[in-house]
Formats: sequence, C-alpha cells, structure tokens
Amino acid sequence: MKKVITGDHAVAIGAKLCRVEVVPAYPITPQTLIIEHISDFVYDGELDARFLTMESEHSVMSAAAAAEAAGARVFTATSSQGLAFMHEMLYATAPLRLPVVMVNASRTLGGPPGIWCEYNDSMGARDSGWLQVYVEDNQEALDMVIQSYRIAEDKRVLLPVMPCIDGFVLTHTVEPVEVPEQRDVDSFLPAYDPDIVLDPARPAMIGTFMPAEYIMEMRRQTVEAFESAKKVIKEITALFARSFGRDYGGLIDTYHMEDAEIALVTMGTVTSTARQVVDELRQEGKKAGLVKLRFFRPFPSEELREVLSGIKAVGVADRSISYHDGGPAFNEIRSSLYGMNIPVIDHLAGIGGRDVTEGQIRKMFEITQRAAEGEKVKIINWHNTRGETV
Amino acid sequence: MAAQTLAEAAVIEGNYAVAFPFFGAERRGAPVLAFTRIDSKKIYSKTQVYAPDCVVVLDDSLLDTIDVVAGLKPEGTVVINSKEEPDDIDLGVSVRTAAVDATSVALEILKAPITNTAILGAFAKTTGIVRLDSLEDAIGTRFGEKLGKKTGERNALAARTAFERTVTGRSRGVKKLEPKKQWLPTYQELPAGGALIEGKTEAGLIGPGSFIENKVMGWATFRPLRDKEKCTMCLLCWFYCPEGTIVRISDRGDLMTNYDYCKGCGVCANECPVDAIKMLRARV
Repeated sequence: MKKVITGDHAVAIGAKLCRVEVVPAYPITPQTLIIEHISDFVYDGELDARFLTMESEHSVMSAAAAAEAAGARVFTATSSQGLAFMHEMLYATAPLRLPVVMVNASRTLGGPPGIWCEYNDSMGARDSGWLQVYVEDNQEALDMVIQSYRIAEDKRVLLPVMPCIDGFVLTHTVEPVEVPEQRDVDSFLPAYDPDIVLDPARPAMIGTFMPAEYIMEMRRQTVEAFESAKKVIKEITALFARSFGRDYGGLIDTYHMEDAEIALVTMGTVTSTARQVVDELRQEGKKAGLVKLRFFRPFPSEELREVLSGIKAVGVADRSISYHDGGPAFNEIRSSLYGMNIPVIDHLAGIGGRDVTEGQIRKMFEITQRAAEGEKVKIINWHNTRGETV
Repeated sequence: MAAQTLAEAAVIEGNYAVAFPFFGAERRGAPVLAFTRIDSKKIYSKTQVYAPDCVVVLDDSLLDTIDVVAGLKPEGTVVINSKEEPDDIDLGVSVRTAAVDATSVALEILKAPITNTAILGAFAKTTGIVRLDSLEDAIGTRFGEKLGKKTGERNALAARTAFERTVTGRSRGVKKLEPKKQWLPTYQELPAGGALIEGKTEAGLIGPGSFIENKVMGWATFRPLRDKEKCTMCLLCWFYCPEGTIVRISDRGDLMTNYDYCKGCGVCANECPVDAIKMLRARV
C-alpha cells in the first residue's frame, strides 16, 4: 500500500511491521515523531509491545540492552545530544552481542546547539561496535528497519544496528512510501531466537566483569562478527530484493559507475540530489559516477577498492568534521584506497544542516575532475562557507 | 601500599624505583599482586615482574593455592607472613626464606590485621635492599601524610618490630604444586558476547554458580562466632552479610554460618544489636 508519510512515520511503521516487543524511548527533535507514532500504535492496540518512557537516553539504552538480553526484540530511536548521552551504554550493547535496532535521526551535536542534519552525532559512535547504515529516502528508511533486524539477529552477526536518517530532510519530509504487507515482513523476518537469555529458569551470565585474560578475545570476536556482517548484509540485501522488489546494493550502492572516469562518494540524502547531478553531467557527456556509502560500519573497504579501481579521481562528500584533516568519510576512504594511486578529494558540505544544493555537488564534481586531469587542487574543500574559496 | 612505600624508601636512598598494583574486582581480602622494581638508574620497563629477586607473601594461606615462587630466581629470597619457622615452610623448592608473624605484630601495634608495613620490616632485614631507617622515613611520609603523624609513627614501629622478630632460614622443597588451571578459551571458543550458562570445563565450573568453587575462607583473619543464648533471631546479620554466608535453617528457627565463603569482614558483628557475635582469630 502506498502512503505519503514522513521519514519518522516510515520508521515507526517499519518497527511495527517487525513486531518489536519492547520500545524504551526518550523524545528528542527530530526523532520525536518516531516514538509518538509508536506510542500511538501501542495505545491503539496495533502493536503488542511494552512502551517504556524513560528518564534519559542513558536509561533508554540500559533498558534496551537489558530487554534484549532477556530475549525481547527491542526498538528505539534517538538523535544528537540523546545519542551522546547514551554513549556509554552503546559500548555495553555491542560487545555483549545484543542486536538492538535504534534509528538515529541525524542532527548536529552542540555546541553550538542546533537541530539540523549533520553526521557528527553518529560519527562519534563509529567505534562503539554498532553497525551504521545511512539512507537516502523514506522508503529506504522503512526498508532498512526491517533489514536491520534480519542482519542484527543473524547468529553470525548478533550486533546492534543504527540506521541513520537525515534530520528534517527525511524525518519531517513527506514522500510516497510503499508500505510492505505484514505477512510479507513476517515471512522475511523470523522471530528473534537467541541462544542464551536472562531467564531465572535457566541462569545465565551476560556482561559480567572480565579480567585482561578475556577481553582481547572478546574484542577479536566482535571484529570477527563485523567481518561476518559484511557477508550477511549482502545476503540480506539480495533476499530483500527478491522478497520486496527493491535492491539497495549492499554495503554500497553505485550509479553510472560502469564507465565512470571520476566518482563522488556520498552518504544519506546528498546521494539522492547527486543522482540528478550525475544525470545532468552524463547529458553533457562527462563520465561521472556516484558511489553511495550506505554502511559506514562495517566499512566497505574491499567494495570501494573494487568499484573505484581505474577511476582517475575520487571526491568524498562529508557531512561532518573531525577537526583533523577533513571529514571521517574522507579519511576512511583514503585509507581504504591506500596504494591505488587515486587522488582523493574531500568536500565538506551541509554541516550544521546547511542545504546541499545541486550547484554545490556540481562544484564537487568540477574540483574532482580537475584533480583527475592532474591539476593540483586543494585536498580539503569547504563548500559554501564564508571566508573559504573552492 | 607496601610496594609503593618500598619504592619510596629506595628513592630516599638515591635509587630509582617503580611500584604498581594488579588486582581484579575490588574486594577487601581478595588476593592481589603488587610489584616493585629498584635500580640505581631510571627504570623504563612498564611490564609486570616475571622473574623476581624477592617474593613477599602477606598471607601464608596463599601457599596452598598459588605457586608463589613461580619465576623466582634460584638465588632469590621469599619473605612470608607466617607463624611457622622458615625451615618448616614447604614452598616446593628450597630457597632462602624469611618468616615473621606480621599479623600478630599488626594486631599488637595497629590493632588491625593490616600487615603491609610490618612485612616491609622483614623485607629490609632479610634482603638489605633498603635500610630500616629509610623505610621508617618512607612510612612516615606515605602513611603520615594521609592518616596523620601518629598513624605514621605506629606503622613505622610495626616495621621495626617485625624487623626485630624476623627469622631467616631455608624453605623445604617437598610438595608438588599443580599449575593453577584456568579456562582460557580462544576467541572462536568464547560464546558470543561472553554470555555463559552453567558449564563445566577442565579448569572447573564456569557461568552462573561457578564461584561455589571459589572458597574464600583463606582471606579471613577473623571469623564470627555467634552466642546462641544472646541471639534474639532478629536476622540483621543474615540481612547484612555481603556474601550471603549466613543461612537460615527454618525448621529449627536457627542460623548457620558457612565459613567456606565467610571472609571475616565483621559486618555481622558490627550490626548485631545485642552483641551476640564476636570476631575471633581465624587461624592461630
């Protein structure tokens, strides 16, 4: 059934279709609509779940981890300062292999306080052990909630997943979304069936104190789960495409990369706008291609090396800054391409929620093209920033 | 604290010294390790000590469970808090050994079974690595600054008393100590997320309830003795015992203490409103 809904509404419907059992929540703009919709579903009897209004995001993630350890399928959502506040508990969830799914409505992390889209909230959590996927439209937001549970709960993975949806650009924007049928989701997503849960009838220990004799093996095991996740994500993407007819490509998605000479790597909604710019460039006879960096964790190094092999120059659109040598996506991509002798150019844009226009994306391609032609260009480019020239 | 004070004494004598602890969950009485390195020049090594010149044992009940001389150099020395003569102590190897009843020294002088200053006196006498007077200065600084001049002086006296009472000899090398078995799974063997249900390995039980194998009576300096005549069965001791070692025998309306797991903290005696519980020396 087609519905014209916001990204937040799409996410809430996704959680409902997954028959989530426990939803601990604390409201924060621009995530608020997600939990309001879920609260309505529970109140109206459309969703049989425990909705827990917590006193803080730290408690939200504590409750989420605990409920998951007790064997429940858990959903929650947060944003920005809320994600920062639960930072400690993010680290408790992943290595204990508790497959919580939490949507992050991407929003700048103060100070200075702001509410618009930027990735510096979720980038701060990139080493917490959560898988992260960035989506470009409301359909993908809904579909990724469903796929996230299937990936997270796979016995080869057992890691929490954080789908990131652009604050306001998706959360508060309506567009048509195909809502899957409940029976189709039920057959795609089996019931959560963990091996060990906290059950008084069968005592278990989860998350107890561990001395140095065990923690390196715990970390190594989690790295192995990340490696497995790469394979599982590809399988689940293919399975979802077969079941629902929408193929998201896997860890990355590509657009006009077959014969591309230059490429731009984008995340989230910038991808959507950039598709249009690539169409225009192609009409002008320019061999431009687009790589959508969907999963930031696990990071698709092998896939990027494969798809970018033979490319003359690569631009990276970064929607956050790490205060050292450009943005996080740029740094990870440059590391991934080490030894391939491809110029990698960083394009900082849209930070703090500043609108990323077609014009800016064109400029990113232009600079990347000049690098491809051997011109010495700036490596780190601040787009549409007063005092900077690009 | 003993390791740090020893390091300070060495520094007072113009040497360089490093001291550091290694412990697990913080529980008073639980076995801990501490290391001191002393040299005439700057020490760069930041690792634990695996081949010590001297091993100091503050609790001789450890001799039954831990191979305290593991790694000790053949010409090395062992200093033990023990009522026994050094020649009667069986360490599994015959090495130079000194013994002093540091617990009694501490109880006499400090009125508490805290033996770290007393044992340092024994260390100074046996090894000669630091002099007694620099040790007393170091104790004065480290204990005095935090706990007051009087406490510093009393601790220095504990060190001096132990220094005088220390007897040196050679340990016996008869018993065979099995290396301690430990469950050390590979990362592939470790269950996902380290989640454990009740289980058994070659190294013993793992998972919930496995601490039943971890008897802690050796930690205790004191143990509680309840006077049944005075006891009113108010159950405050049962309620407050942090280890759950006081068991209600409901059919007899009585209490029983499981000494296997009592670490002698004395909370029960402190809480008892009718003074029915006395703390007595566990090993004499």
